[in-house]
Amino acid sequence: MSRGLFEPQKIGEMAPASKALLYTALVAWSLFVIFPIYWLLITSFKTPAAVNEGPFFIPWVDFQPSLHAWRELFVLDFEDTMRAYVNSIVISLSATALSVLVGSMAAYSLSRIEFAPNLITILYFVALLIGSSVAIGIYDADLWLTLAVAVALFFLLARAVGRLYTVRLGNGDILFWIISQRILAPIVVVVPIYMMFQSVRLLDTHIALILTYAVVNMPIVVWLMYDFFNSIPRDLEESAQLDGATMIMTFREIVLPLSRAGLSATTLLVMIFAWNEYLLALFLSTSRAQTLPILVAAMNAGERGILWWTMSVAIIIMIIPVVVLAVVLQKYISKGLLVGAVKG
Amino acid sequence: MNVHSSEAVAKGISLRQMNKFYGAFHALKDLSLDVAPGEFLVLLGPSGCGKSTALRMIAGLESISTGTLMIGDRDVTEVLPKYRDIAMVFQSYALYPHKTVAENIGFPLKVAKMPKPEMEMAVRAAAEQVELGALLDRLPGQLSGGQRQRVALARAIVRRPSVFLMDEPLSNLDAKLRGNMRAELKHMQSTLGITTIYVTHDQIEAMTLAHRVAIMKDGELEQLGTPKEVYSDPETLFVAGFMGSPPMNFIEGSIKDEVFTGPGITLEAAGQGDCRQATLGVRPEDCTVVAAGEGQLDAMVYTLEMTGDQSLVTFRAGATPLVVKMPKDFEVAPDMDAGIAFAPMSACFFNLATGQRLRPTRGTR
Repeated sequence: MSRGLFEPQKIGEMAPASKALLYTALVAWSLFVIFPIYWLLITSFKTPAAVNEGPFFIPWVDFQPSLHAWRELFVLDFEDTMRAYVNSIVISLSATALSVLVGSMAAYSLSRIEFAPNLITILYFVALLIGSSVAIGIYDADLWLTLAVAVALFFLLARAVGRLYTVRLGNGDILFWIISQRILAPIVVVVPIYMMFQSVRLLDTHIALILTYAVVNMPIVVWLMYDFFNSIPRDLEESAQLDGATMIMTFREIVLPLSRAGLSATTLLVMIFAWNEYLLALFLSTSRAQTLPILVAAMNAGERGILWWTMSVAIIIMIIPVVVLAVVLQKYISKGLLVGAVKG
Repeated sequence: MNVHSSEAVAKGISLRQMNKFYGAFHALKDLSLDVAPGEFLVLLGPSGCGKSTALRMIAGLESISTGTLMIGDRDVTEVLPKYRDIAMVFQSYALYPHKTVAENIGFPLKVAKMPKPEMEMAVRAAAEQVELGALLDRLPGQLSGGQRQRVALARAIVRRPSVFLMDEPLSNLDAKLRGNMRAELKHMQSTLGITTIYVTHDQIEAMTLAHRVAIMKDGELEQLGTPKEVYSDPETLFVAGFMGSPPMNFIEGSIKDEVFTGPGITLEAAGQGDCRQATLGVRPEDCTVVAAGEGQLDAMVYTLEMTGDQSLVTFRAGATPLVVKMPKDFEVAPDMDAGIAFAPMSACFFNLATGQRLRPTRGTR
C-alpha cells in the first residue's frame, strides 16, 4: 500500500518528500561551502595569465595546470614562506599550550575552591598600582624604589584596609571578570599593547606574540574548562582522596583522563584562533616574527597587483595543519565519557 | 571476638563534642558518640539533620570546627583523609568511569604501590566476595545499578580498612535489589568484622542493619540505642514519630492528677507528674479495633488498607489520623464508629513543648 509522498513508508523512516527536500538542502549547502576551497585549489595551479583571462573552473579543459605559483612560493621565496610558516606554528602552538595550561588550572581551582576576595582589598591594590604607575611615568620616580614601597604598603595595610568595609566577591564575579576581558574589541587595546612591548623592546619577537595570544585566549579556556570541570562529580576526587591518592595523583589519574574531551575541544578552538589571528600580528610583527596571515595579506597589496595564484598556495598550506589537527583531536571530542561514574 | 578479622584489627571510633559551623549556620551540635570495634552503627535522620556532614567529618572530607575525633586510640581530628585508614562508599558510588572494574577495585592498592601479582590476587578475592568475578574487564558504564554498587563495595573492602563509612549506599537501587543488598551488606560486615558507620534516612534499613542506631535531628543527637530500644522505648517525640511504619499514633491532651485527658479519651497515667501540654503515643500494632464503647477511645473508621500480611485501619479522631494494625483477614466497614483498645502499659507520654519523654516520677512501670 502506498502512503503518498508526505508520509513515511515505514516507521522510523522519513517521508520521501521531506527526504528529498533535506538532501537537496544539504547538497546545496555543501556546494556553497566546498566550492570556494575548490576554486582556491585550482587557482593555485594557474598561471597569472590564466587567472587574468577569466574565471576557468575545469583543469585541462579550461586551462592548463601549472606549478608556477608553487614554484614562486617554495623556490624563489622559500625563505620568506618557511619563516612565516615556522613562525605561525611555533607561536600558535606555544600560545595554545600556555593558555590551555594556565587557563585550565585557573578553571579547575574556580570550580573546586570557594574564593571570597574582599573588594576593598582589590580596590586598594588597584589604587596602589595606579599610584605607582603615575609616580614612575609622570614624576620619574625610581622604578625599583616605587615598586618596593608599593609592595610594602600593600602587605602592611591590606588586612587593615580590608577590615574597613567587607564586600566579598564570589567565584561567579571572578569568572565574569575573566570573560569580560573579551568584551573590548582587540583594536581598542592593540595600541597600548604595542607601546608596552615597544618599551620593553620585544616588538617583532615570538615572545610578544605568544604572550599576547595566550592572554587573549585565556578567558575562553577558563570559561569552557570551568563548565567542563564542573561536570566531573566531586565524589570521584573525594573517593580517590580517601583511597589514599595525593592531589597530583588524583589530578593525573582521575581528573585529566576525564577532561580529555574538553581539553581537546578547547585546544582546537584556541589553536585555530591563534593560527588565524591577524590584527595583533599586524601590529606586533614586522619581519622576523611575521605569521602566515600577514604573509597572505601582504600578497594583497604587492606592487604587481593582487597575486591571486601565490595567495591561493599560501592559503592552502595555511588550511592544512588546521584540518589535520581537527581530524586528530576529533576522536577525543566524544561525549558520554562520564556515563557510569555516578548513579545509573 | 571476630575470628575472620585477622587481617585488620577493627578499631573503635570516638566522637567528642564535634561541632560544624558553616558561617553562622550550626550544622552539627556537640555530637558525642562512641562506636565499639566491629560495631555496625547507623546514623539515621531526615535530610538536613547533619548525618552526612557528621560522616564526611569522620572521613576527613569536611573539617571539624570544634571537638575531637579518635579512631582507635589515635586523635585524627586534623589528620588527612588518606591517613585515617578508612574506606567510604558514596551514595553515587563514585566509580571511575574510565577505569575497568578491576582497575576501580585495585585503585586503592595501586595508590599504596602494592606489587602487581599481589594486587591482582587481592582484586580477584574482593571481586569474588561481591560476586563480580566475571565482570572485571567491564567499564562502569556497562554495568547495572546493583553491579556498580558491588564494585563500590569491593573497592572499599579490598584494602581491609579499619573503618567503613557508607553514605546511603542503597538509596539508588530499586526496592527489591535494596532488600537483597541489605542482607548481603549485613552478612559481609559481620564476616569482616570491620567497624562501620552507615548513614541513611530509611528507618527500615537502620532497624535491620544496625547494632545500634543514632537518630539525629537538626544537627543534634536525639537518641542512641539498639534498634529495639529506639523503637519500643523512644526518648523523644521525634524519635517515636520517626521510627516505625506506619508511625506511632499521637493524641494531644494534658496530664493532671495522674490522669491523661485528651479529646474523647481519659487514661490513667500512673506516676506521671502534671503536664499542661502532653502527648500520648501508642504504636499501631499495640492497638486493636473493638466494638464502639469497649476500648479506650471511640472514633470513626476512615479507611481500611490491605497490605497483604496485615490490614491497616485508619481512624479520624478530630484532625489527627490514628492507625491500627490488624491481622490480614480483618474486615471493617468505613464510616462506622468503632473503639480502639490498647494496654495502658504500651502507651508512652511526651511533653509536647520540649518533645521529651515523660517518665513516671514515682512507682514502677
